[in-house]
Amino acid sequence: MRKIALLTVFLVFASSFLFAGGYQVRLQGQKQTGIGLIGTPFAFGASSIFYNPGSLSFMKENYSFSAGVSGIFSNAIYGAKGSDYIAETSNPTGTPFYFYGAGKIIDDLTVGVGVFTPFGSSTKWDDMWNGRYLVQEISLSAIFIQPTVSYKINEKFGLGAGLDIVMGNVDLSKAIASPVNGQFNMQGKSTALGFNVGAYIKPTDKLNIGIDYRSKVNMKVTGGEAKFTEIPSSLTTYFPSSANFDAELPLPANLDFGLSYQVSEKFLLAAELNIIFWSAYDSLIIDFEVNNEKLVDSRSPREYRNSFIPRLGAEYKFNDKLIARAGVYYDATPTNEDYFSPETISLNQFAFTLGLSYMPIKGLSIDLSYLQLEGLEADKTYTPDNFGGTYKSRAFIPGIGLSYNF
Amino acid sequence: MKYRYILFLVIIGLLYSCKPELDEFSPSQGSADFSTYVALGNSLTAGYADGALYLSGQENSYPNILAKQFQKAGGGSFSLPLMPNEDGIGISITPQGMALTTKLILGFKTDCLDKTSLAPIQLVENPDQLELFGQLTAPVAGPVNNFGVYGAKSVHLLAPGYGDPAGLVTPIPTANPYYVRFASSAISTILGDAISTLPTFFTLWIGNNDVLGYALSGGIGDTITTPFWFGAYMKTIIETLNATGAKGAVANIPSVTSIPFFNTIPYNALELKVQAQVDALNGAYAPYNQLMELNGLPYRINFNLGYNPMVIFDNGMPLPPEYAQYKFRQITTNEIILLSTPQDSIKCAGWGSQVPIGDQYILTESEILEINNAINGYNETIKGLATQYNLALVDANSALITLQGGIVSDGITLTSTYITGNAFSLDGVHLTPIGNAYIANLFVAAINSKYSAKLPTVSLTNYQSVILP
Repeated sequence: MRKIALLTVFLVFASSFLFAGGYQVRLQGQKQTGIGLIGTPFAFGASSIFYNPGSLSFMKENYSFSAGVSGIFSNAIYGAKGSDYIAETSNPTGTPFYFYGAGKIIDDLTVGVGVFTPFGSSTKWDDMWNGRYLVQEISLSAIFIQPTVSYKINEKFGLGAGLDIVMGNVDLSKAIASPVNGQFNMQGKSTALGFNVGAYIKPTDKLNIGIDYRSKVNMKVTGGEAKFTEIPSSLTTYFPSSANFDAELPLPANLDFGLSYQVSEKFLLAAELNIIFWSAYDSLIIDFEVNNEKLVDSRSPREYRNSFIPRLGAEYKFNDKLIARAGVYYDATPTNEDYFSPETISLNQFAFTLGLSYMPIKGLSIDLSYLQLEGLEADKTYTPDNFGGTYKSRAFIPGIGLSYNF
Repeated sequence: MKYRYILFLVIIGLLYSCKPELDEFSPSQGSADFSTYVALGNSLTAGYADGALYLSGQENSYPNILAKQFQKAGGGSFSLPLMPNEDGIGISITPQGMALTTKLILGFKTDCLDKTSLAPIQLVENPDQLELFGQLTAPVAGPVNNFGVYGAKSVHLLAPGYGDPAGLVTPIPTANPYYVRFASSAISTILGDAISTLPTFFTLWIGNNDVLGYALSGGIGDTITTPFWFGAYMKTIIETLNATGAKGAVANIPSVTSIPFFNTIPYNALELKVQAQVDALNGAYAPYNQLMELNGLPYRINFNLGYNPMVIFDNGMPLPPEYAQYKFRQITTNEIILLSTPQDSIKCAGWGSQVPIGDQYILTESEILEINNAINGYNETIKGLATQYNLALVDANSALITLQGGIVSDGITLTSTYITGNAFSLDGVHLTPIGNAYIANLFVAAINSKYSAKLPTVSLTNYQSVILP
């Protein structure tokens, strides 16, 4: 039963991230974002807390601080099969952010803390749209706080690890179909733990290799609040205005391999492969604490599959004050063909990124990034509700950040 | 430096203005022409629901839903002979005779055991009969495209005088007030009126009442149109329509057992919870069982704890005339208790246990066989004529059988279950708006396929079903 509840939370999470497959958002450093969201083979400073704790101890100065925010402008469109019906989302702008601070305790040992938002999603359809019995609006957010320690074993090898304290929120609204007719809303909070470990290897001066593993985090909601409104008075005893539920949503584990190569003094190439263990998201279960004849627990299959994201990026250093970056990646959807829910419009996506770092004074860097995601048009169905059609999505994500090292 | 930043922002701005787009669905009429559409049929076509014809029921009739889809592919306006209000007017045939009623709504009803529960109730109790009659027969001005008429059988589409007000008050009425409303003259026929609109496209769904009158009355009122005569009427109707050059779609007749009026009350609805009650009943029926044994007949009445088959009258039992008062027996699993059976009589007057349920509330096996044979015959005729005249054939029979298992569309579950199944209105025979949308989609699919048209389907989410208080 508890598991059912967890799934509900997942559901919420699932809907929010249009731009990274499922509901993951890797916008945790503007430099990394600019270079195709590649992070593991770099030692950019404090932002390694998220991308690869193993490279944190390779930061050049004694202290490093980094903060930034992105704006996610995403839209999805749905066209019913065999019909002229079209619906578009009016998603609120998502604002993932990050803040990192790190300092060297001794030469080879660095500690730091990061606050960042690698998962989240918000999808808003019109209240009266044809998929309203599946979802009207959903928002998922998770804030990670990660104290981290990183140790440079030698000039070629570093290891790091962090503990993630994760606070999640979920809010889902949908309509209830005839013969009941009404509105359903559920809200829940959850706190959970996870970890992040990484290794950083520099076999030569020009080649960097990074490996990072971020664990699955099980977001369990216990005693969340479900509200049934606009219910016919003859049914309010079955669908109370307030009920408690449990649910669970997994934030999947990630395994990342990256490498970068300094082709020339000004030019760097990088590649990365992410394996995202989405199969953890099997179904979304809402477990009402008190059931009755009509109010029963719900289990909605999701059956996500593990996904792989290959990334390529490049960096060009104009001079000591200006660096430009670009990248591309392909993110195959983890969703199941038969269980594609409009709460998380996760299509196969092609993305390109641009980035610019400007360093007006020594140690200070102003980082700009731009990410565009094209969700490729596809026919999808959620078979339990027989809700299907053609989906397409697009997201524009500009970001700005500051980092200061001294 | 600044140039680069400006360029950067401009690119972002440009990209942001581009939302994702899908190829437009462009409806087309194919080889059909929807510019003047007429719908012919009975109460199902008229939009009769909840035991009455009323305004929004008509607006949600499948032909009106269909006409809106046609309008996206060159279809013209579609006029309905609208009723004056939402109260509606229906005809209820009771043992006391015929009465005009308003529509049924779901409300709270207290039964003979003083238990209050949700049940269909009349919107207006004992409405003024003369006022309703006046409203019902008031002529409707303006053009009509939906020629669906409550109660019409196949022959009635061809019957002159079916819309003659004088025919309503003859000793045996020869007219139908629902057609009187919009008949073009005292001698017009429904088919003739439809043809006078110069249709380019028609839908035809007639024949349900050719068996339904019989079935709804438990096989004692009305008679079944024989498949031979049904075939003759249908051929005339379709030939006449075809001669205008109009194209069209024709729907077949669903099995009556697929609708809630016939499948809501289980044959074994009699629940006995006390052994003393079982013993008393068995004791009371002991002489009956002896009599049957003496006459060499297989009938026995026997009760057990739990659910028991109801006791029913059956005039068809082969008993000698002196035992005519013993023509009752327990119902079999293949027989049907109608939704019209008074529930209070079962609960408090011993119907089905101490008192056999009247024949007008029962379809026996032989009656069901007659009904099914007729429907099978009709459907063969309809299929043959559709092929012969190259019309789209809508298999409503299969679609309603599918509904018994349930279908799901856009998150709405549709079954043939009474009230909660979303498809059938409170009278247990006619469709809800959601049910009409389901039927409209059957027509869309058949027409698209036959005429290579591209009509959009409708979403069931735009329609309502039974409204709970």
